[in-house]
Amino acid sequence: MIYEKNNSGHLLETVSKVSARSLFWTFFRIGLLTLGGGFAMMSVMRHELVIRKKWMKEKDFISTMALTAVVPGPIAVNLAFLLGKRLKGRSGCAAAVLGTVLPSFCVILLIAMALIRFFDHPKAVAFFKGCTVAIVGQLAFTGLIFSKKLLRGWRQCVICATGLITVGALRLHPICSVILTSVLGYWLLSPVRTSGEEGSDAAYD
Amino acid sequence: MPLMIKLAVSFMLIGLGAYGGGMVTIPLIQHELVQNRQWLKFDEMGQILAIAQITPGPIAINAATFTGYRLSGVPGALLATAAVILPSLLILSVLTPWLEKFRRADGKVGKIRDGLQLGVLSLILFAIGSFGMGAIKSRTDMALAVMAFLGLIISERKLHPVMIILLCGMIGTFIF
Repeated sequence: MIYEKNNSGHLLETVSKVSARSLFWTFFRIGLLTLGGGFAMMSVMRHELVIRKKWMKEKDFISTMALTAVVPGPIAVNLAFLLGKRLKGRSGCAAAVLGTVLPSFCVILLIAMALIRFFDHPKAVAFFKGCTVAIVGQLAFTGLIFSKKLLRGWRQCVICATGLITVGALRLHPICSVILTSVLGYWLLSPVRTSGEEGSDAAYD
Repeated sequence: MPLMIKLAVSFMLIGLGAYGGGMVTIPLIQHELVQNRQWLKFDEMGQILAIAQITPGPIAINAATFTGYRLSGVPGALLATAAVILPSLLILSVLTPWLEKFRRADGKVGKIRDGLQLGVLSLILFAIGSFGMGAIKSRTDMALAVMAFLGLIISERKLHPVMIILLCGMIGTFIF
């Protein structure tokens, strides 16, 4: 049984029950059931990891997501790596990454080998258009969840708006907006306290 | 350089440059595969990206598997897929202890972490706009997107999000 302590000495997740096999299948589901890529995958990952499996709290989910933006590469793969490692060490890490990649590899291979000609069928085009439009709704849903947890005061709103302007209006690379908001966070936000309301789990759940 | 090595190098570069998820990766993939290597025609690229949007999994992985298969069959698909995730796996295996420490930090480092989280939120909000402008072309589209959004809110914790997406696809076959 692994207990991890955070800085304030609180015990974080207990991970005794999570096996590499269960990590593999959960991330297999994530890999299989996430239509769309990148941020559109977040609502499915949240559903599987926070709501269904309860492996992480909402707060941990958001902070782990933020880490995936620091590292290059597909968000889902990065999340699988970090969570697999956290819950089950190296074997968990390998199982989670493999589980994430395998479904999309197999599906695309199948499409490239045999199904690509069906993609021009009008009904298929209409179906995929419906899915694509729905993915916009899914992105908005993810935005809503993050906003509810993170935009807790005007300072947070200002920082987020600055990031949005950097990437949207100034057309700078996303990494610029992430760096800028981190600096602004250091400058503007009040220190994170581990006891008390802000920064504790109670503020998130 | 043999094709297989070129393939591996190209997709490692794509994997390394893919900061911030699918929306950022797309122009990068396009540049490398269409302009630089000329492995794919522009139309083919569009088709792959359209398929990548609506098939399961990260877009970079979808593009890698597809291109790899096109160029040299199943071995190519395996190689390209492995190459595209290799850089992030290597970087993560070195950085994970620090990243985990950073994630749980309080005090001054915690402020930077909170700022970073807000930055990621700003990227999500930007993605809604940029992806939305590409996908939503009419009032019907808008209505369906809003329906999906509300459906996801109502069914939260009860229904898997993919069900809403598939349902909208089904509705799409009637209205588009």
